[in-house]
Amino acid sequence: MAGTFQRIGILGYGKMGGGIAQVCAQAGCEVVVLDINANQIAAGQARVADFLAEGVRRGKVTADQRAEVLARIRGVEAAEGLAGVELVIEAATERRDVKRELLTRVAAAVGEDAIITTNTSAISVTDLATSVTRPERFAGLHFFNPAQLMKLVEIVAALQTSEETVTRLNGFVGAIGKLPIVVKDRPGFLINYLLMPYLNDVIQELDNGLASAEDIDTAIKLGLGYKQGPLELLDLIGLDVHNHATHSAYEATLDARFAPPALLQAMVAAGRIGNKSGQGFRTTEAKA
Amino acid sequence: MVNTNRVAVLGAGTMGSGIAVVAARAGCPVLLYDVDAARVERGLGIVRSFFAKSAQLGKLSQEDADNAAARVGGVIELDQLNDVDVVVEAVPEDLNIKKQLLTRLEAVVSPTALIHTNTSTLSVTAIASTVRTPERVVGTHYCNPAPLMKLVEVADGRKTAPWAHEATLAFLRSIGQVIVETKDRPGFILNRFLIPWENACIRALEAGLGTVESIDAAVPAALGHPMGPFRLLDIVGMDVHHQVSSRLYEQLRDPRFAPPPLVERMIAAGDLGRKTGRGFYTYNDTRLFGS
Repeated sequence: MAGTFQRIGILGYGKMGGGIAQVCAQAGCEVVVLDINANQIAAGQARVADFLAEGVRRGKVTADQRAEVLARIRGVEAAEGLAGVELVIEAATERRDVKRELLTRVAAAVGEDAIITTNTSAISVTDLATSVTRPERFAGLHFFNPAQLMKLVEIVAALQTSEETVTRLNGFVGAIGKLPIVVKDRPGFLINYLLMPYLNDVIQELDNGLASAEDIDTAIKLGLGYKQGPLELLDLIGLDVHNHATHSAYEATLDARFAPPALLQAMVAAGRIGNKSGQGFRTTEAKA
Repeated sequence: MVNTNRVAVLGAGTMGSGIAVVAARAGCPVLLYDVDAARVERGLGIVRSFFAKSAQLGKLSQEDADNAAARVGGVIELDQLNDVDVVVEAVPEDLNIKKQLLTRLEAVVSPTALIHTNTSTLSVTAIASTVRTPERVVGTHYCNPAPLMKLVEVADGRKTAPWAHEATLAFLRSIGQVIVETKDRPGFILNRFLIPWENACIRALEAGLGTVESIDAAVPAALGHPMGPFRLLDIVGMDVHHQVSSRLYEQLRDPRFAPPPLVERMIAAGDLGRKTGRGFYTYNDTRLFGS
């Protein structure tokens, strides 16, 4: 049981949704994950099962614990399957129309008392809040990727979000072993608001020939003690993902610091989007 | 360890003394220069206590530590640097002081001696602009504290010769440093990216996007930084941050480098960070690195 919430509904069994489901189940919650068909659900379940199998291999969890966690997560194909959940965490495709339609449908299925949250990183939470009834129960709950490992969760207070909703989510995030911070509903919230201009700046300077990608990463890691250099971080995030996020922030703010640099757009156009494609700023096919 | 490079370090402050430690630890005979005996003695004191601590912590044997400390001598006359192979300039970050010193130095040292400038925010080309042999002047930016930080940013000025660049890399490798090669552009790599980052965090704080505590908790948790931006600024000192920011802003004319108004208010209030007992946080202990 995590804080006041025992039954959690997750929308989307992708990498993020599965990770959040696992975190909630590990904290003792019963988790229902909604996705569009049996294949998606099976793929999501397999990812969580694999992640936990790796945990067993490394001695982080026992085989019994793994089985218990997996038993607490159930997949459903229809929104009606979410009836009775107390907290919804939406982790569907990062598209406004998809999220709005889904949230409206799910809000009707879960009842007026459930708290509804979105794990969006690029869409206004205040805008999404208007897609549900009683928007004061709506907020952003922004996990970082991979959700199983990343400590921080941003609780995004939309204009409509009530104090009570924020307080309950704060308790929940602490109870699942994460670090909550309450942030404003601005493009990028807090962390990505700070991170995206920095990454864009690095990409632009790389293109300007300031130094090699490797030397930039080495300087930042050795000189500033960051765990990752900016260019290897971009390869990990995915250049397509960063491009989409920073483009969204640029559209929302018209702030040039968020504008996707030309080299980023070119890399995405060429399909060199980082680790997952085998080619990025630091990744080469040989390594992938 | 045999390293036959004879090294001179100009400026016996924290950076200069730290660079002297790095060279002496690698086996180089080192002359530490400053303008008066008191400053030189203070610098030699830093060198000696660093090596004493290294022996105490078991990082070096007592003998190695004693030998390394004994390799560092002090001088207050540039004339005494006539037979060194590498000069590392680490005097205050003032273009005129650096230019004048290098001009006087070049008359003394051998024509093949490498001249390194440990600037963080000034142009290597500008620093070398009044010497007659700018081809041997190379920017080598060490990180503070130099004895513990392996990184050196290397930047050639417009007139640096390839042989000087190559010899510089070889020297830095011989004293155990990790090299990144960059351009003679304001802030090189580190300050080029750190300063706008810190300024963005300060502006986010002023804009109410978070508190000192929440931002400092969020950044290490989400991004794997060793500490949050405000803890770091308190260590760096608001006066130093203001100076570095302003200098980069003057060169780049990009508002991201301009010190945000909060920095100036904190300086006006005397809240410079750890060294004054108060910055973004309040401290009972003003020492920077433990005892």
